[in-house]
Amino acid sequence: MEDQAQIDEFKARIDAGGKVEVGDWMPEDYRTRAIRFIEMHGNSELMGALPERDWILRAPSLRRKLALTAKIQDEVGHGQLLYRVAEDLGKPREAMLEDLIAGRTKFHNVFHYPTRTWADVAIIGWLVDAAAIVSQTALRSSSYAPYARTMTRICWEEAFHLKQGEDAVLTLMAGTERQKEMCQEALNRWWGPLMHMHGPNTPAERDGDLAWKIKTKCNYDLRQEFLATYIPKIREIGLEVPDPNMRHDQATGSWLYTEPDWEELKTVVRGAGPASQERLGFRRFNYEETRWVRDAVLGSASVAA
Amino acid sequence: MIDEKLVPLLMALADDELVLGYRDSEWTGIAPLLEEDVALSSMAQDEIGHARMFYEMVSGILDKSPDSIALGREPSGFHHCRLVERPRGDWAYSMARQFLYDAADGVRLEMLTRSTHKPLALGVAKVIREEKYHRMHGESWIGKLAHGTDESHRRLEAALLQLWPDLPGFFEPVEGEAELVKAGVLPEPFSALLPRWWQVVEPVLARHGLHGPNLGLNAFSDHSGYGGREGRHSEDFVKLWNEMTLVYGVDPEAVW
Amino acid sequence: MDTTVGDVYEVFRQEEQGDPFRHAGNLLAPDDDLALQYARDLYGRRHESVRLWVVRRAAIMEVKDADLLASQLDRTYREGAGYRITVEKRKALRARVAAERGEAK
Repeated sequence: MEDQAQIDEFKARIDAGGKVEVGDWMPEDYRTRAIRFIEMHGNSELMGALPERDWILRAPSLRRKLALTAKIQDEVGHGQLLYRVAEDLGKPREAMLEDLIAGRTKFHNVFHYPTRTWADVAIIGWLVDAAAIVSQTALRSSSYAPYARTMTRICWEEAFHLKQGEDAVLTLMAGTERQKEMCQEALNRWWGPLMHMHGPNTPAERDGDLAWKIKTKCNYDLRQEFLATYIPKIREIGLEVPDPNMRHDQATGSWLYTEPDWEELKTVVRGAGPASQERLGFRRFNYEETRWVRDAVLGSASVAA
Repeated sequence: MIDEKLVPLLMALADDELVLGYRDSEWTGIAPLLEEDVALSSMAQDEIGHARMFYEMVSGILDKSPDSIALGREPSGFHHCRLVERPRGDWAYSMARQFLYDAADGVRLEMLTRSTHKPLALGVAKVIREEKYHRMHGESWIGKLAHGTDESHRRLEAALLQLWPDLPGFFEPVEGEAELVKAGVLPEPFSALLPRWWQVVEPVLARHGLHGPNLGLNAFSDHSGYGGREGRHSEDFVKLWNEMTLVYGVDPEAVW
Repeated sequence: MDTTVGDVYEVFRQEEQGDPFRHAGNLLAPDDDLALQYARDLYGRRHESVRLWVVRRAAIMEVKDADLLASQLDRTYREGAGYRITVEKRKALRARVAAERGEAK
């Protein structure tokens, strides 16, 4: 049984801007939420490697291939960093991987969709990463200090992801008619998932992660921040934002848009997105195929979930 | 020495690294351990980077962009050895190939530091420094798999046996080799490297109990695994090539 | 290492809550308990630390080979600075798009 006074004291410390380190006492609710939040982030990095991975072999120049390999390498590296943070909070890596491939835990909606052309890779690199960086930048002030420090490193590494994606988009938009079409088609395909990315506008008082300051900004603010920076950048290079209602409201200073279909988001993250099962199946297959390697180097402990 | 005569040599060096780099990058996102995933992606980048350096040298001679040299050829225009074009296989196959290839590449690079063609000798010196990590990594894995479990040992042996017939192909002569040797661009013919390669490989295999009648110089039949340097490749490479050139081939004139 | 006086311990210091731990220096101590106490005296007596990590030097491994840490060939494709060209590309494209839109009106 947890001592309410101890929980109150912890909460007061968090409210005052205090930080939590790995060995510190923390309420079970804090620990559970931190694990779930960080694990999903780690899952997303690992699953995020897959949509782009298909295009490593197909990248149209040596530099693009190098950049894409380096980017996906970073994503897997971030998965490693985040899993380490969650592992230290008490959930073993194998348990996280097994839960992921069994569909018991979640990963970000954007990685449930297929990548149809090279332009999808360009749009993901630029805008999906941009949207992710908006969230991740805010997480540098998470109350869980090992996570916050990891975010600092991740944001530093990701600066180039965004740039290589933007460079690929700009190159397509400055290219042939076919290239421009490819790029617009990709933006149209990714717009829905992009608008879903920061999640529905949950009231702050109902968001436990926010209460514990595991995350520090609400979904609405994150999406507004993304739109404010990127809508003008998208439009000025000749791309059309596929939402006729998208406009900046001078009166409130915020961006207005067609409300995304939140049912779709729920369905997708539950594992019923267009590429969800294929991706999970691929990860499951490779996890099983390489189990013997882990047994050989880590011993039988590696199979115990 | 006319620069054009160097092209087949540079292409063989570049294509070996390019194709192996593509194969290594197939582990990106799905390696057995997250840490290994990151390591393989690094090695893939190193190899593509080395290929790019050699293509840049060719680019200076032929006045074509490195990308059009790398991606704008038919499969028969590639000069890599058969060894590197095989699919990545299981982890044991990839690690064993990495180890055997790096040992071969190591003796080749050492020889090329003595080339009379200075830009080549200087470029190669940089490559050698980056390959150091690959050799450490490959040797670690040979030991890990040899002494891990019965299964890892069995898989490693099977991989080595499967790789063996392709190995002599690494040392297949390149077009115009005699002339390159005469000019000192190649300090020795490639065939002279084979015993030196074995001096590197043999102690490691022996240390891990991987010595056998089918894993030795005597197990090589003449010209086994040859053809790659002349542009004769397996179906495996054609499949890879189709992927490699999928986007580039949409419009080779376009900027991507 | 001079075993007559004890072991060398390396000390890492956290200045403010949430900060990364930075190497502060090291100390000699006869055992782990005293190493922790000395760390407090040597690296925390001016309230300059909110936490200290103390680790035996013998437990630290090192990678320092430049061949492993500094790449020899171009790696600008994996740095933000390798894409400065996007600023120019965006400017050119923006001008072109603006001109096209102007003509369409």
